[in-house]
Amino acid sequence: MSRSVVVTGLGFATCLGLDAGAVLGALRSLRHGIVRYEPFDDASVPVKLAAPVPGFRTDSADAEDWTFPDNLSFRLDQLRALSPNALYATYALRQAIDASGLGEDAVAHPRTGLFTASAGSAMLTHHHIDRMKRVGPSRCSPLGIVASTAGTLNFNLVPALGIQGASAGFISACASSGHALGYAFDEIALGRQDRMLVVGAEDFTPETILPFASMRVLTPSRDPDTASRPFDRGRDGFVGTGGSVAMVLEEGSAARARGAEIYAEFKGWGQSTDGTHMAIAHPEGAGLARAMEAAIAAAGVARENVDYVNAHATSTPMGDASECRALRRVFGTGGKRPAVSSTKALTGHALSLSSIMEAAFSVLALHHGFIPGAAHLVDPDPEAAGLFLPRESLDEAPRVVVSNSSGFGGANVVTVFARHE
Amino acid sequence: MSNTVVKHSELRESLKRCPESAIEAAVAFQETKDPALVPPIVLGILERFVEPDVRPVIREGNDATRLMDDLGIDSLLMVEIVILVEETLHISIENEELRNIRTLGDLKLYLDAKTRGLPPPASKNVLNFEQIAATLPQQPPFLFLQEARINGEYAEGSYHISGDEAFLEGHFKGNPVFPASLMLEALGQLAVLFLLKSESGPVDSPEVDPASVFFVGGDGIRCHRVCRPHDTLQLKVRLKKVHEPLAQFEGSIFCNGTRVARAEEISLTFATRLAGEAVGIGVR
Repeated sequence: MSRSVVVTGLGFATCLGLDAGAVLGALRSLRHGIVRYEPFDDASVPVKLAAPVPGFRTDSADAEDWTFPDNLSFRLDQLRALSPNALYATYALRQAIDASGLGEDAVAHPRTGLFTASAGSAMLTHHHIDRMKRVGPSRCSPLGIVASTAGTLNFNLVPALGIQGASAGFISACASSGHALGYAFDEIALGRQDRMLVVGAEDFTPETILPFASMRVLTPSRDPDTASRPFDRGRDGFVGTGGSVAMVLEEGSAARARGAEIYAEFKGWGQSTDGTHMAIAHPEGAGLARAMEAAIAAAGVARENVDYVNAHATSTPMGDASECRALRRVFGTGGKRPAVSSTKALTGHALSLSSIMEAAFSVLALHHGFIPGAAHLVDPDPEAAGLFLPRESLDEAPRVVVSNSSGFGGANVVTVFARHE
Repeated sequence: MSNTVVKHSELRESLKRCPESAIEAAVAFQETKDPALVPPIVLGILERFVEPDVRPVIREGNDATRLMDDLGIDSLLMVEIVILVEETLHISIENEELRNIRTLGDLKLYLDAKTRGLPPPASKNVLNFEQIAATLPQQPPFLFLQEARINGEYAEGSYHISGDEAFLEGHFKGNPVFPASLMLEALGQLAVLFLLKSESGPVDSPEVDPASVFFVGGDGIRCHRVCRPHDTLQLKVRLKKVHEPLAQFEGSIFCNGTRVARAEEISLTFATRLAGEAVGIGVR
């Protein structure tokens, strides 16, 4: 007998807001979180915009200088072990757990696991290595590794919550948190765990965002209101963001038995790899198309019931075009087609975080009965011909939502959620 | 001159979030190297790293305050403290030496010696299992102390219940519980160790003959909780009164932070080597 997986908690520390209500409002009204970002003012920086997380400030390498919302508190030894992304993740995950109504005992339980995705902290890695080179390893913080490396979310969150079940982190660039979600789904579906906490997080620092300027994939735009415009003919690169989003997944019958509020059903997922380039998506979107096909098949949903696709499109010329081809291949260009939008128009691109962030947006769309529109789209790319790209959010309740993610290394992850009946 | 200013501002930067008094002392120490400035500097650095609620404990300046149990300083936090102390006092602290520093008093003595360029004080009062076994007449399998330390008027020790103790097979059948009588025995052994090893005050120069120490009586003994395999007994005895041939202690046992047993009075009889034969009374 197969076990169903449902979403019972969401938590947000994003540029669109610090709770589901704020994020929902932004998605409905297409209010973006992009600003002119002061640390980029220097003339040598070719990028001027970014999407910071309101209420947080983490640009110092000294965690004791950070500011964050009052409802977060840490002992000094905990604070000094955090990376910015682990700080956001603590906020988002605690919010998601609160929303789920799960008690401490259910969280600190052998049947509850934690899967995470973050790229570690480039800022703190640089800070600690630089100090080590200057003053020698004996004079460096013993918590440098805990704070800096890509395991930082697990190192920090596991003891804070007393996690006893599975715990692991996933690395597949901008598909990372999609892998975390997908494998968390499997843990529950295969009966290994009853509850999975999943969190994706990314520092919001120049050290994380600006290396993409070297690849010339960040938009040089100075206008926050139009800078990020996926699928638009004039798109010229992405806007960087960070933060964290967390999701609580539970086995369906157990969640219903305890009377939990169910946001959506997680129907399944699929993945593929392009196998072509280190950083550029397959030009025909072949890999992403295969991942969508696999996800829809695994989810056991009818293709025509997919009413919305939250696209990966980051607003880069090549990536968006490749995704257009993948979408046309899977859904065709005539008859009943799903609405498509990339919410990165509002948030910018959150790298390791983006997959779970957009999955969570998809869950909000299912739970609240609307479809986020394709913000900032004025002149669609000819490659998008035949795709249904609503310019405003639609007051239509989607039945099934597909959320796409692609990362460097050609990794594609697609998650499928359905309205809980 | 400007060099001095730079050095001072770097020092102030490293010590930011320490109490101002500690920063002033550190700046003065940089010039004078006066060992008298070390305690205020070190206490200030400790204060910066501990939780706000235990800061008053540091300000009391009690030498017996334990870094781990009383101040909540774990091994990683200790490393942070060491780094800042090293940087401020221009010394380097070896991991080996750190192991023997458990109280504020240990830390002050150690750093005082270090800044004077003297060898660190030997920690004769910390005993590992081999040293305990070499001191006490009690021997395995009837030795219930694995680690101990003697500190002024009290001694602390610990015993981890492995679960392999033969008596647990019968105490009780299918339900292993560390016997209350052996809790009292463990406290008694710690008191014997105190008599044999204490250097300060009560039982000075004449050496206590190990073969002369026996249990006389106990009073006000209460057990609050049972202990089982994998529990660690944290034992403590304090000397109440000593007058050869009698010594009286009070003792308590904690496990995972809660008290599991206490004895208001444990009396031992002993004889010093100079006094000749043991003057045993009562139970032998």
